Amino acid sequence: MAYRRRKNKHTAVKVIATLLVIITALLCTACAALDFLPPEIAEIFNSFLGNEEDGGGKNNVPEYVDLDSIPAYSDNAYVVINSNKPFFKESDYTTKAYENYSELDSLGRCGVVMACLGKETMPEKDEERGKINNVTPSGWVQKEYSNDIVSGRWLYNRCHLIGWQLSAENDNERNLITGTRYFNAGNAEEQGMLLFENMVADYIKETDNHVLYRVTPVFEGNNLVASGILMEAYSVEDEGEGICFNVYFYNVQPGVEINYATGESKLAD
Amino acid sequence: MNLIVCLDNRNGMMFGGRRQSRDKLLCERVMALTTGKLYMSEYSAKIFPESEKIVACGDYLTAAGKNDYCFCEEPPITLENSEKIIIYRWNRHYPADRHFHFDLEELGYELASTEEFIGNSHPTITEQIYKKVR
Repeated sequence: MAYRRRKNKHTAVKVIATLLVIITALLCTACAALDFLPPEIAEIFNSFLGNEEDGGGKNNVPEYVDLDSIPAYSDNAYVVINSNKPFFKESDYTTKAYENYSELDSLGRCGVVMACLGKETMPEKDEERGKINNVTPSGWVQKEYSNDIVSGRWLYNRCHLIGWQLSAENDNERNLITGTRYFNAGNAEEQGMLLFENMVADYIKETDNHVLYRVTPVFEGNNLVASGILMEAYSVEDEGEGICFNVYFYNVQPGVEINYATGESKLAD
Repeated sequence: MNLIVCLDNRNGMMFGGRRQSRDKLLCERVMALTTGKLYMSEYSAKIFPESEKIVACGDYLTAAGKNDYCFCEEPPITLENSEKIIIYRWNRHYPADRHFHFDLEELGYELASTEEFIGNSHPTITEQIYKKVR
């Protein structure tokens, strides 16, 4: 498949780009250590490298995410935002498949991921999901609880921002965050991200259409664990008739108190 | 009237004014099952192949005659005049804000048959046929 070949090629380009960024960062670190740069120039370098004290901007969310409009968690795993209308711009709409994953910030946290999903981006028939446990997302302080508190016992999942069934991405560190079981799963008790991924995957398989898709993790301040994610989706060819939603998922686990700054957790009082 | 609905694992039908899922092979099965007319909304008609059997209209739930079939994706649903209810279960979980709330056994229906088949994008779809017995 041509898209997959391009994707592999892109992976090679990404490796080279990553190496260049690392070299640049090392040079800049050396410059900072010499301490000869004027403060305003140093600020520009720090800004470029994402070294601000708050980790890259106020609450690290783009302007389309209005944190004040998100109600506090109350029993539902997700809440509809902006009457289910995504915040995409007209210029975002395309039927050409792509996936764009933000670089990790200075605290090792994922950023916005955006894609035009189609059959081109999805796993091949009979393709099996690969391992992801070699990735340690920010805030990964795993802890075991009893099964009546966390189904499957382990509090955290490595949560794909764009699910494997939509992107065929396995251990891409720019697509994996620390998320609770409740936040990630989709079953009778847990109404997490998987439910929406299922809906989008079915739609693409049945129509061959494309879905514009964006997932924005929300990290408050310097927290290493996201408070939640905003998931937006819009089916392009039929102008949203098939898929159109804008939903915020709470990264919580009922019965567990999470320290979002570190990822540590304990039983709730 | 014979009512046809599609449900997820929590009896969900729609989210955000849109169907939860669809399946080409399910539509073919519904067409094959239908004797007489198949009533549905304009919205539903878009996922079916063109056929003289299909009547797409706004009042499809009340317009269908005694032996006709009615494919309903959009609640609210009334079971009045439904002698038979055919439920297709996706056997998957989806988000839902509109549900099929009825307790069919309580309302005098009895499960007459259950059959599983492979869909186009669903590994297993379950067809359940309930008949009115009292």
